[in-house]
Amino acid sequence: MKLAGLKSVENAHDESIWAAAWVPATDERPALLLTGSLDETVRMWRPDELAPVGSPCKGHALGVVSVAAHPSGAVAASSSIDGFIRVFDVDSYASIATLEASPSEVWSMQFDPKGTILAVAGGGGSTVKLWDTSTWQLVASFPVPRPDGAPPDKTGSSKFVLSVAWSPDGKRLACGSIDGTIAVFDVARAKFLHHLEGHNMPVRSMVFSPVDPRVLFTASDDTNIHMYDAEGKSLVGAMSGHSSWVLSVDASPDGTAIATGSSDRTVKLWDLSTRSAVQTMKNHSDQVWGVAFRPPGGSGVRVGRLASVSEDRSISLYDYS
Amino acid sequence: MLQLGDQYLLRQLQETLDSDPDNPSHHYNLGLYLWESSEAMGDCVGQSAQLKERAAEHFMASAKLNPSNGAAFRFLGHYYSRVSVDAQRSAKCYQRAVTLDPFDSEAGEALCDMLDGDGKESLEIAVCKEASEKSPRAFWAFQRLGYLQVHQRKWSEAVPSLQHAIRGFPTCTDLWEALGLAYHRLGMFTAAIKSYGRAIELDNSRIFALLESGYIQLMLGSFRKGVEQFRCALELAPCNLSAHFGLASGLLGWSKDCIKSGAFVWAADLLREASEAAKTSTSLSGNLYSAWKLQGDIQIAYTSCFPWESERSGYDIDEELFKSSITNWKNTCHSAAKNAKLSYQRALHLAPWHANIYADIAISVDLIDFLEDRNKDSQEAWQLPERMALGGLLLEGVNKEFWVLLGSLASTNALKQHALIRGLELDLSLSEAWAFLGKLYRNLGEKQLANQAFDHARSIDPSLALPWAGMSANYQDGLCSANEAYESCLWAVQILPLAEFQVGLAALAVLSGQVQSPQVLGAIGQAVQRAPYSPESHNLHGLVCESRKDYQSAIMAYQRARCLLKIISNFKGDIKSCLVDVSVNLARSLCKAGRALDAVHECENLNEEGLLDAKSLQIYAVALWKLGQYNLALTMARKLAEDVSTMKHTSAAAALGLICTLTYNICGFNSVVTMIRKFPSECLRSSRMSLIVCALNALDRKNQLHSLLPSIPQTVVSHGMIIEMHSITAIGKMLQITGESNQALAVEKGVNYLRKALHMYPNSTLIRSHLGSLLLSSDDLMAPAKAARCAVVPTGHPCPINKGFRLPYEIHGAAAAACHSFCSAIPKFSFPTCNDELMHGARSLPLLQRRLHQEPWNQNARYLLILSILQKAREEKFPHQLCIILKHLILDAISREKFLRENKLSHSRSIILLLCASEISLQTGDFPGCIRYATDALNVLPTHSDLFFAHLQLCRAYAVQEDYSNLRNQYTNCLQIKTNHPIGWLLLKYLESRYSLQNNSDIIEENFRTCIASKGISANCWIANFELVSAQCYMWHQDYFRAEQALTRACAANTDSCLLLCHGAICMELARQQGGPQFVSRSISSLTKAQNNSPTLLPIVSLLLAQAEASFGAKAKWEKHLSLEWFAWPAEMRPAELYFQMHLLAKQPSTGSTQDRCIAYTQSSERWIQRAIHLNPSCLRYWRTLEMAVAS
Repeated sequence: MKLAGLKSVENAHDESIWAAAWVPATDERPALLLTGSLDETVRMWRPDELAPVGSPCKGHALGVVSVAAHPSGAVAASSSIDGFIRVFDVDSYASIATLEASPSEVWSMQFDPKGTILAVAGGGGSTVKLWDTSTWQLVASFPVPRPDGAPPDKTGSSKFVLSVAWSPDGKRLACGSIDGTIAVFDVARAKFLHHLEGHNMPVRSMVFSPVDPRVLFTASDDTNIHMYDAEGKSLVGAMSGHSSWVLSVDASPDGTAIATGSSDRTVKLWDLSTRSAVQTMKNHSDQVWGVAFRPPGGSGVRVGRLASVSEDRSISLYDYS
Repeated sequence: MLQLGDQYLLRQLQETLDSDPDNPSHHYNLGLYLWESSEAMGDCVGQSAQLKERAAEHFMASAKLNPSNGAAFRFLGHYYSRVSVDAQRSAKCYQRAVTLDPFDSEAGEALCDMLDGDGKESLEIAVCKEASEKSPRAFWAFQRLGYLQVHQRKWSEAVPSLQHAIRGFPTCTDLWEALGLAYHRLGMFTAAIKSYGRAIELDNSRIFALLESGYIQLMLGSFRKGVEQFRCALELAPCNLSAHFGLASGLLGWSKDCIKSGAFVWAADLLREASEAAKTSTSLSGNLYSAWKLQGDIQIAYTSCFPWESERSGYDIDEELFKSSITNWKNTCHSAAKNAKLSYQRALHLAPWHANIYADIAISVDLIDFLEDRNKDSQEAWQLPERMALGGLLLEGVNKEFWVLLGSLASTNALKQHALIRGLELDLSLSEAWAFLGKLYRNLGEKQLANQAFDHARSIDPSLALPWAGMSANYQDGLCSANEAYESCLWAVQILPLAEFQVGLAALAVLSGQVQSPQVLGAIGQAVQRAPYSPESHNLHGLVCESRKDYQSAIMAYQRARCLLKIISNFKGDIKSCLVDVSVNLARSLCKAGRALDAVHECENLNEEGLLDAKSLQIYAVALWKLGQYNLALTMARKLAEDVSTMKHTSAAAALGLICTLTYNICGFNSVVTMIRKFPSECLRSSRMSLIVCALNALDRKNQLHSLLPSIPQTVVSHGMIIEMHSITAIGKMLQITGESNQALAVEKGVNYLRKALHMYPNSTLIRSHLGSLLLSSDDLMAPAKAARCAVVPTGHPCPINKGFRLPYEIHGAAAAACHSFCSAIPKFSFPTCNDELMHGARSLPLLQRRLHQEPWNQNARYLLILSILQKAREEKFPHQLCIILKHLILDAISREKFLRENKLSHSRSIILLLCASEISLQTGDFPGCIRYATDALNVLPTHSDLFFAHLQLCRAYAVQEDYSNLRNQYTNCLQIKTNHPIGWLLLKYLESRYSLQNNSDIIEENFRTCIASKGISANCWIANFELVSAQCYMWHQDYFRAEQALTRACAANTDSCLLLCHGAICMELARQQGGPQFVSRSISSLTKAQNNSPTLLPIVSLLLAQAEASFGAKAKWEKHLSLEWFAWPAEMRPAELYFQMHLLAKQPSTGSTQDRCIAYTQSSERWIQRAIHLNPSCLRYWRTLEMAVAS
């Protein structure tokens, strides 16, 4: 289990890069890396040489905070601080839909594993909104309740929802808030199940294990990565080692490792069997906002790839083996 | 019987044969035809046999004529085997056919079937081998051979045969299954899984493949995949014993993985399912000992992972509910252990020769004893667990594991030691035995021996948890530091999440200051799940929660711990002191959670029993003070003060600090000062007390404590502390001035002090933030820029703690929003007259977005971002797209502010945001919206000072709509409300003049003068601005004389080059209108000043100067200024007139130095005219000049 640097692109964007996601491979092309930046553009890159695909995709008026790719690989979405979500065709950049929400209501988004729903979390509304991907209409809105026994809410912004994750079977939806709690929903019954507790600072990124629909990894500003049993409502393990906020987490497709990006400018690879960091990459010169493992699939793609994007405007690609 | 067509064919074949009777192929063809027609008629047996006989004759003839025709032999074989039954002959014919043609799978299969029927296996193999050796494409032979080899368990030979056969029949499921089996038996598990997987892929109803691959997955430890396979198998065959058994054992293995990682709830869920599956398998076949054993194993695992779950309701625990939940938990564990015991007994009953079942029973009995709290000190010589363990040993005396088991179960230490040493005699590298031995010695107090044993165990197997836990116990003996002990215990817990280890880890974490680490939280949470009966685990859980500021959970945990301590029967140690500790913890948490009344109750209870110590006294005092019982609180503080001298240094300092704070809050400033002056000076050495003294001194106008300050040694306190003291002193400086001159806070004093402090500590973010905050609130017009310069935005890492001062991003944002210059980073919109490069709104935009991205919930960051974008929109003259987004952002922010309607900050943000929305509406032509938002702003807080601007905004809206009566009303409102922002009056002045709202009245000017009276150094700037506005107003009314006078006053107040340019320009205009030479000379003087004052060349200034000089006939000066003008313009912005002027310059005969005029002389004068025309073809003057130039 190790990472080996393959390629780095300096100044990939004109400003800080904030979001990254892999667009799955289709029959015609390999998987592409999708990045979003403060320079108000979304760009795509072809591995392994990280060659830009097409021209930068403009259309946002403020920084892009989140990007998400449809599991089919044909469609992707990007959202910016101004609250608009642009859904576009990956190969032509042609706009498919523009979803409008309040600016503070859009922060993180993810397509469900089947690709029928786009979950958008964010904001002081303390909700997760579900958009149907065939009609692009809002189909459901899950309010995130406050945990029991919590002090009364005076500021109104203490439940700002920052992150969202789908379980690999598509049955559960988790969303993390700034108070460090994570709410778990039963999607089919549209029901809130319970809170997961243990973090005491914002949870910025989450991912379910691709092999275990019960296991959830969370990254928080309290510098720790937690591993929860999302069904059993319990904290199973914790991993510490970053010296600053953990901004992003992703699980390897084989489910044996996770990678994290942090404000301490490093990317770490964690072995889940020993729950310890096996490698620390220090090639970024500013905080690392996103890490993403390439999903398996596509012709002849057996090797693992990890991409990281950073405030220093660079993208790095690693070989994961 | 034959059809007509067939008759014809038959006749033809017959005729061909007749014509050439010696040709074997004719015979064969006829035979084949006859044979096939006989096969086709099938139902009529007699006739078909007749036909076949005829066919056989022909085949025979053909074979005789051509003995190498295998097909003929095959048919003969068929004939002998089916029609005239003669096995011998048939076999020979087939044999012949196969020998002749190894590809002939029909003959081969038939032959083998015959041999198989006769049980001649070796012959069969020989046939297949012969055929396969003859041709690699005789796949039938390979297939047959492979199956036979599998049958004979010759796995390694079977693999190549089957692989070869698969090349011929790649979709044959049986072949894949057989190959999988062969690999499986050879121990090539991954290959076997692949083969079975292929078989399942081809036919998903293959139970054999599913089960076998499932078992292999279990063997490889991929329980999840194995369970999946077994579930699939069960869907196909719901009553398959093997599948149920496999599922149960797979789930058991999986749950053990979960237990190892600490996911007890998950493990319990899996085990419940496993238990169901095991039950089904035992009910399907009750005489399978392994099924019973599996059931027992599952129940034992369930006992060791079933988690206790807390009842979360209300603020306090319900003791009855809690006790019953503990009982329920115990009962569940107990019944599972009992079930395990029963299952193991059944297994033993079925197979009493299996030694390990004795061991299993021993373990289960021991577990039941533990759960029943049964004492082991009874008189019986042999306890039941020991006896059962011995049973195993009697059967297998050489099994070292059994010795270890006996060692761990034995009730007497001698027996333990004996058993473990016997185990070690059998195998010296038995790490478990070493570990248990270490534990035994530790309990006996033999520390040296214990450490040796643990070291042995650890060096043999570092992945064993017990030795690590044992090492951490060394802390008690002072053999290692708390941190080392914590590290080894953490390691032990990560290897094996056992409640005992986890409790120990939490205790060590409290000692080593690691209590906030998430590993400890997870561990103690799991310990509570697994050992809910232990008061210690609850107490530690409380401590961990308290350190994470989760007071509610902490309170409940302490209450649980106390509840357990009250009912516990056999507790080792001093129950009373434990109860006091827990009660103090509880009182502290209650106090921190804001439940002062409950905290006081707790302390009173302690007081009644006389158990109030220094710690609880402090809590008591604080709780009383919070309740408002000041006298009692002071009494407690006094009591505490009596004890201070006996305390340790650190706790004494804390107690003193508390006493001071309480006295200050209750009795006020003076009494605390007198109190501190009585303190001995060594009491003030601690950093906490130094800060208190410093803060009190800052508040004190008489400087009574000043003498104490130097006694605080600078070396003792830390760097950060000194910086904090400087910051406090700065506040003190500001406060002291207040007393004398009765003004608002004297910001300047504070700024000056902090500047010096910053010089000493240039990298202190605290001082920078403080200075920035002060600068922002000062009246200096350039202050925002200075503030932005001193606020360093940290890169990457998140900002440090907010001490109530503005953060760097806020300072930058505020500076950008406050930028009064009409400037932009993009020169196409305007010329940068702004002296300060920093003050670009555009530059702070990414900064603010970055901040918002880091803290999307931060309302203030959002607000500043909106203001910056508005600034940008203003600079770019409100482009449509930007306006839409801005409106989107503003409306969202307004709706968010509505939630926060509590504090003052939010109110003023709301008003500004509404005004922004109003402005955007005005700029996009939505006048009703503009009026609505401005009116909303008026309603937010009717007495707010910013409301002047809401009225002003309404004035502008009505003015645009030409609604003069409303405009006049709002104007009157503005005059009534007044503002202390000078800019408000300037704007009102514009409106007044533009719409002639007030005739010959100086109300605005009066108000403006009173307003700027308090503005200090920036007053002159404002006067200049006011005069500029006046001048503009005069110009609207064509009153150039008074405009010139106003501008003269403005220039006197402020020598900004733009003002001077205005003055110069207006003088020129006056000179043009009235020809007074005095105006020209005034103009020259102003313009020259403007040129000198400006940091860069200003456009137009030189051109005007040139014209002014030209009117005096000073040609050299005219040339000089005109050529300067060229450089004042950016290349892409030079107007046509400039080119035209260059033409005039170029026309001059070159006198003087050519260097000055090099630009003009680079081209001919005609060229210059042409370029001017190219830029502005509509100007007739240029054309005429060109005509003249060409004509001459």
